[in-house]
Amino acid sequence: MQPDAHPDGSTEAESRAPAAIRAQDLTKHYGDVEALVGLDLEVHRGEVFGFLGPNGSGKSTTIRTLLDEIRPTRGSATILGMDTHRQSVEIRRHIGYVPGDLAMYPNLTGRDTLRFFANLRGGVDWGHVEQLAERLEADLSRKVGNLSTGNRQKVALIQAFMNRPDLLLLDEPNSGLDPLMQREFQNMMREVVADGRTVFLSSHTLSEVERVADRVGIIRHGELVAVEGVASLRSKAIRRIELRFEGPVDSAPFEALAGAREVAATDGHLVLSFDGDMAALLETATATGGLRDVATHEADLEEIFLAYYHDEQVV
Amino acid sequence: MSTAAVVTRTVHDRWVGVLVASVSIGLLLLFGMAVYADIGSDVYQGMPEAIRSVMGVPDGADAASLAYNVMLGTVGSLTLAGLAVSIGASAIAGEERDGTIGLLLANPASRTSVLTAKVAALVVLVGLGGLALWGASELAPVLLDVEVGATHVGAMALHLTVVALFHGLLAVAIGSWTGRRGPASAVPAGLLVVSFVLAGVLPLLESVAPLVNLLPWHYFDGSQPLLNGVDVGDLAVLLAGSVVLVAMSEFGLRRRDLRGRSLGVSLADRLRTHPRAHAVVDRLAGSTRVSSIAARTAADHQALVLVVAVAIFGMMGLLMGPLFAAMEGTMTDLAAQLPEELLAFVGGADMSTPEGFYRSETLGLMAPIAAILVATVVSARAVAGEERSATLGLLLANPVSRQRVLAEKASVVVVLVAVVGLATFAGIAGGSLLGGLGMSIPNIAAAALLLVLLGLAFGGLALLLGAATGRVGIAVYGTVGVAVATYVLDGFANLDPRLAGLGRLSPFYYYRSGEPLLNGLHWGHAGVLLAMALVLASAAFPLLERRDLRQR
Repeated sequence: MQPDAHPDGSTEAESRAPAAIRAQDLTKHYGDVEALVGLDLEVHRGEVFGFLGPNGSGKSTTIRTLLDEIRPTRGSATILGMDTHRQSVEIRRHIGYVPGDLAMYPNLTGRDTLRFFANLRGGVDWGHVEQLAERLEADLSRKVGNLSTGNRQKVALIQAFMNRPDLLLLDEPNSGLDPLMQREFQNMMREVVADGRTVFLSSHTLSEVERVADRVGIIRHGELVAVEGVASLRSKAIRRIELRFEGPVDSAPFEALAGAREVAATDGHLVLSFDGDMAALLETATATGGLRDVATHEADLEEIFLAYYHDEQVV
Repeated sequence: MSTAAVVTRTVHDRWVGVLVASVSIGLLLLFGMAVYADIGSDVYQGMPEAIRSVMGVPDGADAASLAYNVMLGTVGSLTLAGLAVSIGASAIAGEERDGTIGLLLANPASRTSVLTAKVAALVVLVGLGGLALWGASELAPVLLDVEVGATHVGAMALHLTVVALFHGLLAVAIGSWTGRRGPASAVPAGLLVVSFVLAGVLPLLESVAPLVNLLPWHYFDGSQPLLNGVDVGDLAVLLAGSVVLVAMSEFGLRRRDLRGRSLGVSLADRLRTHPRAHAVVDRLAGSTRVSSIAARTAADHQALVLVVAVAIFGMMGLLMGPLFAAMEGTMTDLAAQLPEELLAFVGGADMSTPEGFYRSETLGLMAPIAAILVATVVSARAVAGEERSATLGLLLANPVSRQRVLAEKASVVVVLVAVVGLATFAGIAGGSLLGGLGMSIPNIAAAALLLVLLGLAFGGLALLLGAATGRVGIAVYGTVGVAVATYVLDGFANLDPRLAGLGRLSPFYYYRSGEPLLNGLHWGHAGVLLAMALVLASAAFPLLERRDLRQR
């Protein structure tokens, strides 16, 4: 348990710079449904923390609890050392937020929307707003209700970044952005981190997280399955392996191999993810006969992610 | 896709509301009939035949027909027609607003078949409501063992259903032509109110009496169906109008582009881009509007308040003065014929004085509806509306507490209801001047103040319900339900002394029993209304603080 002795809610050891986010046993039940189960999590300052999970796994519930929109059934959390419930208003001076289910006031233009939030927040440098709008090529003169999903998302991103918050809580922020804008957005996140500030990036697409995140937490059915550095995740020896044969190939012997997943065979082309004994794999391939080509790729997080799920489901 | 699926879904979405409204009115009818039955029929014995006919009281019946007239003729018919307008406006324009029409029409269904399905659903729902009201009307006298005499309740229910359907179809037609839900609900609702009011007043003025034939409402109760049974001619007029509206809907919907979720360009938008107007309008429509939560909320409701205030000021205020002056003689004659008991019965308003006329025409029903409507809509949407549209999450990610959001929104309720009160005051004072009626200005101000406080009491309830549940529907319908019930309660408490104690629970007692137009402000009554508003509104704060916010 975290002692509450310090006025800012931090412990002795971290009184200088408390964690960006710290959750302890954070649990949320809706009746019999367990949306979040005993979440223990620490997000360091100055990192991009990727929060990964499929739809409905509890990502948004976590963020909404951190923002005090909903109250935990059990457990507690701090943001920048402040209690998420008791000091929620003070916390909100220091954060930027993009909700997963984005909705803004349709009758306001992008500029009016940003002015409105800037008035509520105070201390927003309008030059910075213009700069962000330029980078994201956002049209601020049109009414939000008339913007496409991607263009509306740009307005939401600007409002999250505009007061240079210490912590950005971004729930599926990429939706609707084209690849060029996604890249610009990734640069913006990198700059935040270079500045010593923190990004909490929730997503179900691993590829977007793996480019910017330092560490990744994987959540499933409301439980945090794993927290690992992106580098160490990659170092898990999962390989994407392609084998080409002269004729049609039977996938059964490959599926039987320990460490083989997602085996797919079409004619003479067989693809699988593999973290087992390479010699055994090659032996099976040779025994099949007619092996013409072997290619291996470093697995992306997607496959590692699926591997995690796969293991969980087996258990 | 079978269009039956569209009918089923639409009926499924709405039938609970229609049924709840019908059953509530049925219960009020039961209550009313019990009160009328209790009072006895003495009142009518001495009444001349001509007056009984004007009142719509048939031979050999009393309690039942009076209850029918109040409950079906006014409350029931306005409610069912209001529901029909809401359903009709949602039919096409609502699907466009929600952005669901694209998905609907991506199925193999033509626009015409979707429209047909929506009209069919409207007919089913309004028919269901009419049947429920009819059933309740037949059941009530049986339960209470009351003699109904030669009343034609079935005919009344049929007329009521058809007039509701007509207004619902008008909403469908406007929605089909414009694709905008705003005008599609506002125009028929406005027509409903105007035609309801004028249908009561126009026949009293000989020179303009024929104009009554232009009002849809006239074809509902002009022939007094309760007394005379079904009037085939009147029903035919409404049904023919309905058919024309359906045909117009079909034509309108087929010829235009469907709207996406996009918004129209308002006058303010045009002016903002105009080089000369830019500086001023941008300040008004832009920076001022977004300067605070309160300013933005007020701007969101400006159209509603403007329409309501202008209507109350012009039609129910200014116009009524000269109108009364024009028919003062008629009113005096009429009043002289009525027995005293009957005057007490209709609420004690002496229609031969300007105060009595304004009290019953303006302050009796329409002004309370206006004040309560504005207070309820703005309060109900205060928090629950932002939850429904999923904007509350982003709003509360800013350094503002839930308490402050609620407090700013509550302050907007006070300001906007005060605007309605001010319009009422200005309208009646202006009407008195125009008609040379010489009414007391301070007394008019007192009546307007009580009106504002009445609105705020119900606003407090809507704020409480919205803050506690996060649901706009519960806040609006809950408040409207309580408003109708307490209105009726106060009405009956005036008639039956044994209900007087119970009647003290109704905010309407404190609003009108002091006769502010005659006696000025009753401070005690004002205090009670203010206390109601404050207690209800302050209870909203802890309830909002405690709960989880809803997600769309």
